[in-house]
Amino acid sequence: MEGEVSESCVESLLAEIVLVVGHQFSERYTMDRPRFTDNLEAIKFICKDFWSELFKKQIDNLKTNHRGTFVLQDNRFRWLAHMSIDPSVQASGNIQDPSAMAENKSTQATGMHLYFPCGIIRRALSNLGIACAVSADISNLPACSFVIRIKA
Amino acid sequence: MIVCVAVVGHQNNPLYIQSFTKADDSLKLHHIVHCSLDVVDERVNNPKKSGLIINETFLGLLNPTENYKVYGYLTNTKVKFILVTTDLEVRDADARVFFGRFHTAYVNAVSNPFHIPGKKITSRKFAERVSTIVKSFGLSSSS
Repeated sequence: MEGEVSESCVESLLAEIVLVVGHQFSERYTMDRPRFTDNLEAIKFICKDFWSELFKKQIDNLKTNHRGTFVLQDNRFRWLAHMSIDPSVQASGNIQDPSAMAENKSTQATGMHLYFPCGIIRRALSNLGIACAVSADISNLPACSFVIRIKA
Repeated sequence: MIVCVAVVGHQNNPLYIQSFTKADDSLKLHHIVHCSLDVVDERVNNPKKSGLIINETFLGLLNPTENYKVYGYLTNTKVKFILVTTDLEVRDADARVFFGRFHTAYVNAVSNPFHIPGKKITSRKFAERVSTIVKSFGLSSSS
């Protein structure tokens, strides 16, 4: 039996958990470090120390436009490494275009799994004094890109 | 002798205040802690004037008022620790060690799943740990 969980429902359920967990992670992993002098230092901390504590590896590629947008690319995102997107499996009877519909659903489901890491990053950065929005791009799994937009 | 320790959050909201004197002057100590928050903000915003290394967590002696000495410490997450002591011969190194232990105890208290970020720390274990750290501070500086 397949349960239908809407995206907004998932987001609101996770929001509180992300608040607490992101806060705790940022407190613990910034403990022995000197304070950050600017935004780039904080983002580098996320790329190196924070990522290696959470995902046992560092970010593979960091890009910035020097105007407050950073793209963090992880070539093998651990939490989604074993997730498969197989459009042919989930077709059901009466739908016009089964493969497209199923692909949409599984992409959507994978997207929901990214709320948690995006939320933790956002919360950790806001704890360090940087208000931002974090989104993720999973156009080619298992590589995953996180886009951080700092609110000026 | 340490008379008061305080943890103050990002928006200058008190997260934990504990005084260690038998006398009933906790209000005066709260007032001292409150005043020292201004000094912390000033130190952080004008590092060149105060001669502070910009990314140091330990802020040093904030302001010696009357017969108290006040030390400050600022974490990466903008949480401030304030230490008020009546000891006139406290060394910087002792205060640093104190804040290091205090930071560890604070992180452990915040990692409690029942703790709500931004609210006061109500953990009894944290209070006990803090009293232990305060007692050992007195011993190490006198030896």
